[in-house]
Order: sequence, then structure tokens, then C-alpha cells
Amino acid sequence: MDSNSQDDSVSTVNLDSATASRGLGGFTRSRRRAVLRNVGIPILSIALLLLLWQAIVVVFHVAPYIAPRPLAAIQSVTDNWGALWPLVLGTVRETIYGFVCGTILGIGLGVVMAKAPFLHRMVYPVLVLSQGVPIIALGAPIVLILGFGIAPKVVIVAWIVFFPVTVNVVAGLSHVDQDLLNLARVYGASKWRTFFLIEIPASTTPLFAGLKIGATYAVTGAIIGELVSPSGAGGSLALYQEHANTNFNVAGVYGTTMVMTAIGISWFLLIVASEVVATPWQRRTVARRSLLHREPDVDLTSTGH
Amino acid sequence: MKIRSTGALALASSLAAGSLAMLSLGGGASAASVTNVTFAYDFPGPDFELIPLVVAQDQGFFTRAGLNVKVVFPPDTSTTTKLLVTGAANIGFITTTDMGVAVNAGAPVLSIGNYTMSNNWALFAKPGVALSANNLKSELEGKKIFSYGDTWTESMLPFVLKKAGLTDKQVDIVTDPTGQDFKFLLDGKVNIATNTSNYEVAGFDTSGLKGKEPTLLGTAVGAPNIPIWVYATSKSYAKSNPKTVSAFMSAVKKGTLWAIANPAKAAVEFDKLYPKSGYTNAYNLDGWKLTIPFMANSSGQYFTQTSAQWATMSKALKSIKLISSVPSPSTYYTNKFLP
Repeated sequence: MDSNSQDDSVSTVNLDSATASRGLGGFTRSRRRAVLRNVGIPILSIALLLLLWQAIVVVFHVAPYIAPRPLAAIQSVTDNWGALWPLVLGTVRETIYGFVCGTILGIGLGVVMAKAPFLHRMVYPVLVLSQGVPIIALGAPIVLILGFGIAPKVVIVAWIVFFPVTVNVVAGLSHVDQDLLNLARVYGASKWRTFFLIEIPASTTPLFAGLKIGATYAVTGAIIGELVSPSGAGGSLALYQEHANTNFNVAGVYGTTMVMTAIGISWFLLIVASEVVATPWQRRTVARRSLLHREPDVDLTSTGH
Repeated sequence: MKIRSTGALALASSLAAGSLAMLSLGGGASAASVTNVTFAYDFPGPDFELIPLVVAQDQGFFTRAGLNVKVVFPPDTSTTTKLLVTGAANIGFITTTDMGVAVNAGAPVLSIGNYTMSNNWALFAKPGVALSANNLKSELEGKKIFSYGDTWTESMLPFVLKKAGLTDKQVDIVTDPTGQDFKFLLDGKVNIATNTSNYEVAGFDTSGLKGKEPTLLGTAVGAPNIPIWVYATSKSYAKSNPKTVSAFMSAVKKGTLWAIANPAKAAVEFDKLYPKSGYTNAYNLDGWKLTIPFMANSSGQYFTQTSAQWATMSKALKSIKLISSVPSPSTYYTNKFLP
């Protein structure tokens, strides 16, 4: 009885859906709705945040040298874009290099630890220890070893990124469906084949979870790197902000923060997009499920009901 | 200005204790006659330049002036001015260039007295390396010069480069707000460090290193001879609390003169109040002794500001585009609260 009523409710929903959106046009409309939902709402929330910021500054008469209006912050970015752009590229470069290095290291360590329990027991405490070290304390020693320039920043980003990647790879490889592994063994698949065809695909979800955490921290790591390891003549985004702060350029401080945030969000979204591309089976599952839900519509239309 | 060892930052836990001790030491006057004053230092941790205030507290000068002074430390070296204009602190300790950029931004701050009367900002080299005014161009060209990235260094360095006949493109300015200048200099990561002589020389003297750190005062190579640090307040606080501001400056002068006359005892008082400052007594004493010669002008006056110093400072900031216009010197300061 329960299953029947459940079926009825599904049919009702889809009948409504069929009335509202039929065929290719309906699909486009539902996609448009999805886009609006996934893109429009976040943009709206950011716009509301900026409005709230503006309202607080106006209502409480906050002096511009304490907190600027959002437009003033944005204008400080556009007015100084010529100076900011090379620094933005520098931060992005540090983020990418550090992220790639941290990811390679994290995946490598994760695989080794998952495959060799002895090494897992030996390396894991060191990994945890590495994350307990205050990154700011590493600034001077890293510079003394690696000198000025991009290398210390890349090391700091990699240092921050590799840990969540490693932990998630280990988790992913340790929780592969045992039935699948047994099936591969029954079919006589080699260890390598099993690894590439079953274990790697099975661990992509936790891997990307780790990468997303890493992506969130990577830009922060780059900024920390720019602050704790000095820059030469080229300067850095963090130092630009530091100068703005020292020189009472409050709009500049807020504007730079917005730029840093934009880099962080962009980098995170890029990883999310990579996940979508790299794991098509996850999308396919979703698509099939939605198609399954649409089946009664199709049937109803084709049969003339 | 960021011209101290950041080692002190790690000892932030001592700050609350220090501030509380300040409060407890000042318990002489009756509650009704005591005025609370929050004083914001210019650095996230206490160091020897705080000695006049420590002495004023420890010797009871604040108490006798009817003040209960609480010292607070900003999260970074750029925040003290903001603490003043927001009312989070009543009186503070900042650089003259901090005043310059704050006034340019429209912040209603007012300098109420010089701390030091002249410019002891200098260039430093590793022991054994030549550093002189005569060969400045060859000694700086293509070299790595350390900067804290603060307004003071930003405004002084162009004068030195101009004197040397160089542009900022002909040197490599390494900016590090965390202040690892000494370490980088000794390790050869930078060729020239910039700092004020009282902090740098005290650091070198007490480091156990042999030899002498070559020093070249900025004023000898083109930098203007203007005071670095001042006591400041907000214009509104000065207007509504003139007696308190005057009483504060009077007590601080007594503390300053006492500390100049008794440097060793003053350093001990500092250690007593801030036992976990991260600095040794030898460093504090050496640093304070190195500060004393810069505290009075050629006429033997303390704290007295001049229009000329503010005009020179604002022109210097304007020349490097840190401020958009040069206001009247009287915009920056007043001497009316001086004892």
C-alpha cells in the first residue's frame, strides 16, 4: 500500500511538471530554473551582504577611515588595477604551484599509506605533527633555506594543501567496496588493473572533498606565505594590503580583501568544475534519476492520455 | 613603525598581566578623584620605549596626577591611530608619519608631544662590510635593502636613494613586516638593514656577536632630521579632557626625566612590570640608554614640537605620494598640553 501511495505521489508531481514544462522547451526551462537556483541565489546573497554593509556604514555614520562603503572599496580596486593585476597574478601563481605540489604529495602519500599499513602507522603521526606547527613560525626558516621569491610561498601553500588531500585519499582507498574488489579478484584482474579501474574511481569523491578543502586553504596559504616570507622588488598582494593598512588607506584594505576573496572563490569553483568533469558518472546518476522521474510524462504524452 | 624584534610577539600572554599590574600599581588616589586613561602603545608588545610610562606608574607620578593609566597593545603597528579615533584608547604612541597619513585620510588625531626630538633611523650592514656616506652609490646599487614596509621607512629611503643618485629600480627592496631584518642581515639574505639605531644597536650589542655593526644614520645621507615618535590623542578627547591630557603629559615628563637620570633602575622597573616581554634586562637597558640622547632638542627641551618638523614631514610624505596634500603644520599638533 505504501509503495502504491508513493508511486501516486511521484505521478502527481510529474503530471504537474508535465503541464508546466513539456518536451525540449520544458527541459530548457527547468535548466534555466536550476541555473537561477545555483547561480542566482548565491549572487543575490552576495548582493544582500554588500547592501547590509552599505546600510551599516550609512546608518551608523561610520567614518571612511574606519570602514569604507562597498563601492569605495570596489573603486579602490578598479582605480589601482594596473598595480594590483601583477600582484593578483603572483598570488594565483603561488596558489597554483603550491596546490599542485601539495596535491601530488598528498595523493602520493595517501596511496602509499593506504597500501602499506606499517608506513601508515609511521607517517600519520608526522603528518598530524606537521599541521600542528604554526605556519607563521616557519616563515623565517623557510626563507633562510629557500631565499626570497616564490619558493617559500609555494612550500607554505603545499604544506597546507597536502594534509586534507592525504587524509581523504587514505580514507577513500580504505573504504572501497569489498564486493567490487572480490569481483575483480574472481575475474583475475591484476593489482594494477584493480587499482586503476576500481580503487581510483571509488576514491575520487573523498579525493575531491580533500581537494576542495585544500583549495579553500590554498589562497589563504599563499597570502600567509606572502606575509611571513618577504618579497623582493615585485611585491605581493598581502604586502599591498599591508601598505594600504599602514598608510590609512582603508578602502584599499577592504578592496584588497575583496580581491583575495574573489581569488579564493574562483579557485574553489575551478576545483568544483574539475570534479564535475572528472566524475561524469556522478552527474550521469543524477541525470538518470531525473529522467526516471520524467518517464511518466513521456509515457503520458506518447500514449495520448 | 615596525622596528622591533617580533620575538616579543610570542609573549603576548604577558600583556594582560602587565596591563593589570599597571592598574594595581596606581592605587593611591581615592576612586572619586581618579581619571581612567587608556594608553595605546604602537607595537603589539611592550619594549623599552615604554619605560617613561612604566616609571610614571611605578613612581606614582600618574597617581599623584589623579590618573589611572591602563596600557593596551594594538594587534598590529597600524592600528593605534584607529584606536584613538574610535575612542578605544584615549592617548597613544605613534610615529609622525602615521600622523601624516591619518590626517590625510581625514582622521581627527592630534599630536600632543614629541617622544624623541630627532631622527635616529639608519642603515646597517653586516660586521666587516663597508658602509659610508662617501661611497653610498656603490654600496647600495643592486643591493638587497631590508624594509619593514612602514610609512617611516617608505618616506626616508627615497631621500637616501636620491642622495646616492639611485632610483628604487636600482636596488632590491625586500619588504618584511614581520621584522626578520637582523636574521636576514647576518645570514646574508639582505645586504642592508634599515631600523632605528636604539633598537638595532641594542639588538646587536646584546646578541653576543663580535665586532661592530656598521651604521649610517639616515640624516647623514639625505633623510630629514625630524622626530620619529609622538604622543597623540583624538581631537575630541583633547577638547573635552584638556586637564587629563595635561596631567598625563606632566606625569610622563616626570617619568621620562626620572628614567633618564636612573636608566638602570628604570629598566628594572620595566622588567618588573613586564617580566615576560621577551627582552633581557641588558637589551632594555642598552636600548633605553641609546634612546635618551634623542629625547631632548638642542635647547634641552622635551616634547616640544615645531611647525618646521611637521612641514618637513608632510612635504616628505607628499613627495612620495603617501599623502595627497600638505596641510598647515598646525593641523597636526599642539604644544598646549605640555608641562
